[in-house]
Amino acid sequence: MNEHMLPSATRPLRRAFLSDLGLGFGSVALTAMLRDDLIADQQPVEAIAPKAKSVIWLFMIGGASHMETFDPKPALNKYAGKTIQETPLAHVLKSPLLENERVVAFDPNNGFIRHDIYPMQIGFKQRGASGLEVSDWLPHTGDCIDDLAVIRSMWTEDSNHGAQLQFHTGRHRVDGFFPSIGSWANYGLGSLNDELPKFIVMGQPVADCCGGRECHRANYLGPQFDGVPLAIESREPLPYASPVDGIFHEEQASEFDLLRKLNAQSALQFPDDEALRARVRSYELAYRMQTAVPEVVNVSRETQETQNLYGLDHQDTKSFGLQMLTARRLVERGVRFVQVYHGSNGGAGQWDNHKGLARGHARLCRQIDQPVAGLLKDLKRRGLLDETLVVWATEFGRTPGSQHGDGRDHHPFGFTVWMAGGGIRGGVAHGATDELGFHAVEDRHYVTDIHATVLHQLGLNPRQLAVPGRKRLEKEFGNVIHDVIA
Amino acid sequence: MLASVAALSPCWAADVDYQRDIKPLLHEKCSSCHGALKQEAGLRLDHGAFIREGGEAGQIIQLKDPAASTLIERVASRDVDLRMPPEGEGSPLNQDQIRRLQFWIESGAPSPEDELVPPSPDEHWAWQPPRQRQPTTRLSGWERNPIDAFVSCKLSEHGLSPNEIADPRTRLRRLYFDLIGLPPSPSALRTFAADPSDVAWARHVDQLLESPAHGQRWARHWMDVWRYSDWDGYKDAVRGSQRHIWRWRDWIVESLNADKGYDQMIVEMLAGDEVASEDFDVLRATGFLARNFHNSNRNIWLDATVEHTAKAFLGLTLNCARCHDHKYDPISHQEYYAFRAIFEPHNVRTERLPGERNTLLDGLVRAYDAKPDEPTYVYQAGNEKMPDKDHPLMPEVPAILGFDLVVEPIALDTLARIPDFRTFVADEDLSAARGKVEQLEKRIKKLGRETEKDKDPSELNWLNVVADKALADARCNLASLNARWKADRFRYASGEDRSQCNEYRQLKLAAAQAEHAAKVAAAELALVNAEQQQQKLANAEKTDEAAVKKAKTDVENAKKALKEAEESYSADKPKYTSVVKVYPASSTGRRLALARWITDRRHPLTARVAVNYVWMNHFGEPLVENVFDFGLRSPKPEYLDLLDWLAVDLMEHDWSFKRLHRLITTSHTYQLSSSTTAGPRPPLANELDPDNRLFWRANVRRLDAEVVRDSLLAVGRSLDARHGGPDIDFTLGETNPRRSLYFRTAYEKQMPMLVIFDAAAPTECYRRSTSIIPQQALALSNSPLAYDTARRLARHLWDSRAQDQPRDQELISTAFEILMGRPCNPTELDYCLDFLIEQTRRLQKPDRLTRVQSESQGQTQPSKDAALRARESLIHALINHNEFVTVR
Repeated sequence: MNEHMLPSATRPLRRAFLSDLGLGFGSVALTAMLRDDLIADQQPVEAIAPKAKSVIWLFMIGGASHMETFDPKPALNKYAGKTIQETPLAHVLKSPLLENERVVAFDPNNGFIRHDIYPMQIGFKQRGASGLEVSDWLPHTGDCIDDLAVIRSMWTEDSNHGAQLQFHTGRHRVDGFFPSIGSWANYGLGSLNDELPKFIVMGQPVADCCGGRECHRANYLGPQFDGVPLAIESREPLPYASPVDGIFHEEQASEFDLLRKLNAQSALQFPDDEALRARVRSYELAYRMQTAVPEVVNVSRETQETQNLYGLDHQDTKSFGLQMLTARRLVERGVRFVQVYHGSNGGAGQWDNHKGLARGHARLCRQIDQPVAGLLKDLKRRGLLDETLVVWATEFGRTPGSQHGDGRDHHPFGFTVWMAGGGIRGGVAHGATDELGFHAVEDRHYVTDIHATVLHQLGLNPRQLAVPGRKRLEKEFGNVIHDVIA
Repeated sequence: MLASVAALSPCWAADVDYQRDIKPLLHEKCSSCHGALKQEAGLRLDHGAFIREGGEAGQIIQLKDPAASTLIERVASRDVDLRMPPEGEGSPLNQDQIRRLQFWIESGAPSPEDELVPPSPDEHWAWQPPRQRQPTTRLSGWERNPIDAFVSCKLSEHGLSPNEIADPRTRLRRLYFDLIGLPPSPSALRTFAADPSDVAWARHVDQLLESPAHGQRWARHWMDVWRYSDWDGYKDAVRGSQRHIWRWRDWIVESLNADKGYDQMIVEMLAGDEVASEDFDVLRATGFLARNFHNSNRNIWLDATVEHTAKAFLGLTLNCARCHDHKYDPISHQEYYAFRAIFEPHNVRTERLPGERNTLLDGLVRAYDAKPDEPTYVYQAGNEKMPDKDHPLMPEVPAILGFDLVVEPIALDTLARIPDFRTFVADEDLSAARGKVEQLEKRIKKLGRETEKDKDPSELNWLNVVADKALADARCNLASLNARWKADRFRYASGEDRSQCNEYRQLKLAAAQAEHAAKVAAAELALVNAEQQQQKLANAEKTDEAAVKKAKTDVENAKKALKEAEESYSADKPKYTSVVKVYPASSTGRRLALARWITDRRHPLTARVAVNYVWMNHFGEPLVENVFDFGLRSPKPEYLDLLDWLAVDLMEHDWSFKRLHRLITTSHTYQLSSSTTAGPRPPLANELDPDNRLFWRANVRRLDAEVVRDSLLAVGRSLDARHGGPDIDFTLGETNPRRSLYFRTAYEKQMPMLVIFDAAAPTECYRRSTSIIPQQALALSNSPLAYDTARRLARHLWDSRAQDQPRDQELISTAFEILMGRPCNPTELDYCLDFLIEQTRRLQKPDRLTRVQSESQGQTQPSKDAALRARESLIHALINHNEFVTVR
């Protein structure tokens, strides 16, 4: 594990390039060379003992309600129908914390404080040995509550869906685009696998209104650190991952073989050409990806019991279940960061229940509940949960007040995310919103505190992740949430 | 990092060193306000002597009681109003940093005697106008032109000597890719290899510069810098940039091919509407401004305009002064907004073009001053909620650059004010209305010929009623248009507003009456249509309750609308809807003033910044490292004299880029070999200057994204080299053989193959990165385009071999020339020949092979003849050769 964390100066110089290139395709020596080179790509980082090897980052697009998932607020039922001003809790409307909101453009449809208190749309039960309360819409996740650290005191700035981007880069939509959390992890970590990219993305991504693919891109770090999207539901999960129809495998393999010999010839002529060397390597990895990608997305060899654990046998849970099972297969093979989007609809996102929240959230929770719980249980029984950090997140919460009579509006002032595995304490709730679920009031955390904690568990110090000439703001680094670390 | 952690052991204190620990700390935390740029409180902290001296309020360090030093008190204060750096200007110092400072004071606050005083910011090299200084080299005969003289001089200063000149084929291939973005043909290579004289080289340079493909190649470079983007948005809503902005792209290509001066290009892009308000060709250039359109927030729009105008033309990070004074450059917060005031009045609009009445489908997008009097305020802390309304700003440019804007308002011609007065507008609208009348007259004639035998009598009756009403409507509409055109023409055509003339009153009355009649006729038509629908439902055998109800409501609404239309006319105040749109009669002249200021010979930045881009795209590395920031963070470049010589030369020769290209490409320096190992030249340049900062050799480069794709099409003999036209759907990149710059490129709308090869991000890309990632390997080995290219090229070579000599040697060698610009060497030939034998044998027994099942389809199927298919396979492998995408 620590091998890839060697400071750069102590890495052996490799000058055996030419002889390596003479070896046959897929030989042991070549594989070793590849691994060395991939290790060499990585940046020197300070030694923090890593607790997690991989991250599975789940993002609910549109804004999941905190008070209908992990942050029960009985006061909502008590004061239902009253306005906030009419309750003893009217002070939330005068809080200086309201100043944190940054509006990009006035939108008459959202971004307002909704005053008529809307009761909780679902009951909660205490679950597990910890007795933490979990929404009845999430029964399976409730089974795993003793592995979860629920952080109930998140806040962000954007009251519109640019907050999706903000959650991934730590910067407001108006500030522009910056490296996403996954790309920083990709940048900072070495590879554990020479057949697959380190950073993989699944699910329909955030729409362009709200940051789009910048939520998994690397921006100024360069495209080699972008998340690589895998469309596992499609027959071509990766662009250009297979040759055109009618080509023979043997025909292609012999082309690659010729290519290797010819490039080795060039290397004789240009021994200092690092780009040539890197290109040869990229062809080796590409060749392997062609088989590794179809193999990893093919779950047919998983037992029926495992498939059912993820809900592949039910229409509602099949799609997300397949992504969760694939996520496990990816981290099992050493992929470092797996980002999975849920709820994209080409616009703000399906979790954005301004109207019909009860029906909408019930359906969306059903889609993710068993698959997520299946993932946690499966990781645990395979001994992978200790080294895999799972994060469940969304861009903001929803208003305590009602909108359109049966929905909730956007709410950047307080919301919930959870983390599990990878050295995180289970069965704890950290931080709190006020009685109405309006403001995060205890142990408040801006979104990059999640980034800092994730990177810390991976053995990275966010303050050392920087590129010359690109100044990072204080708010981009965040602070490690030590209270949730085991 | 580990070392500094270790240094925190008990004896750390002994380690504190001014140069290593104190100076960088104070530089990071303090020097933007207490340094060369600004001296708040009369205090500078960027030099040991200044620190010991103190500020207006006296000494800031007490050697005898370090902890009581003002410096320590202020950085360590718990009171946020007292603590330095102030809130929002930087993070507070941590305990270790404070202890280091304290120890430094304790030890007597020592600093080196020879510490240099950071120079005043107005002495910065980039603020001084460029002057031509001749190089002081002894000419050795190596130099072809002044570029070589500067390089030769610099190299000998550093004890370096330049590489040999590259071999002719390598050079020629480099030149083709640089000037036209396409590979040379084997015959061009062979001819030049046979006579690689300077004369022949110059002939190639001239030929390529005159090739129309040159504009296509260099347009893409400038499109990076000028942030070209087609419109983006969700579904049909435009969020950024504008529809039809491709006309600006065509203007760029044409301007470069015509060698329009760079100064003139800047004038047309920033102020085309002010210099040639009626000239559609020139107006296209203002796409540069229209590109910044942003639908949700005008401030985002104008901030982008300010930021990218300053970066692209001036290499100035003006954007850093949006929320506060610039931290590094002498540019104030207020100067940011004064620069914004130049753009405050402007907006974008789309002009109609002949042949298309709907501007959503086509039109000319252009800039114009919509609100000449719109005020500009400083936004305190950059917050648009806090404008300083007491102090509206005048348009100004940063004072550090030496001279001021000269703004003069510009009176616009009638057609700029009322573009609808272009004759085609009325012609097309009236002829469309007339066409409608004629069409209905024909229809009525036809109906008149139909008898009760053909149709049900009640239906025929209805058809007649509706047709009559429709005709009446069309005629009234035509009459209304005619009358309104007449009135508008009278009112505006002379240039002054004649709305008070008696004659106009008559015309206005006629127009109002005609328009009213048209409104009534339209409402009557709507009513009979609704009634007919109701009748139809009444006659139907099955009753659909909902439809019946709806029809009834429709009839009632139509009656109501008719009544409203009838009552809408007021004889006392006759009014009509104008058929023309009237825009302001003058423009502020601010943008033209800016363009003239940017292109003034005295300007220290414009020509340097442009030369730097051109140099970068020929050599792979710029002369000034940060291409969009020539400010104080940009150290004096090694080759400042060369940069300045070229900048002055550019200005003195009508800002001609073609001259600059010719100077560069005919220099010896440009033609050097890229080898890092050739020749026993002690000491090896590669050891003294491994990064080639001094250009002792050529840099090895990878082809740009567009050039990779265009070259595939070219070697596959399918490139469609035509110029211009609307942006092509980016999903057609594998099948449509147009050059890559013609495909749509916008946020989230880019061709995947181009993105994989590091195409410019449409939002910002002053300099491209070059990555090497496995997705590139997959794209070149698996894309339908790569297979199609291989198959087409293989068949061409197969068909064109001499019939009596079906030699594979020739096929292989020519393929190498086409793809890599050189013949193959004997080892390569052997590999390829062996491959052909093996692959043919393999393909002769396809039933023993495993077929790939794939969704992906090429346009050209593989050959059924195993021998030919093996040759296709060979070419396909060669396309993936590193040399195909590499320029040496």
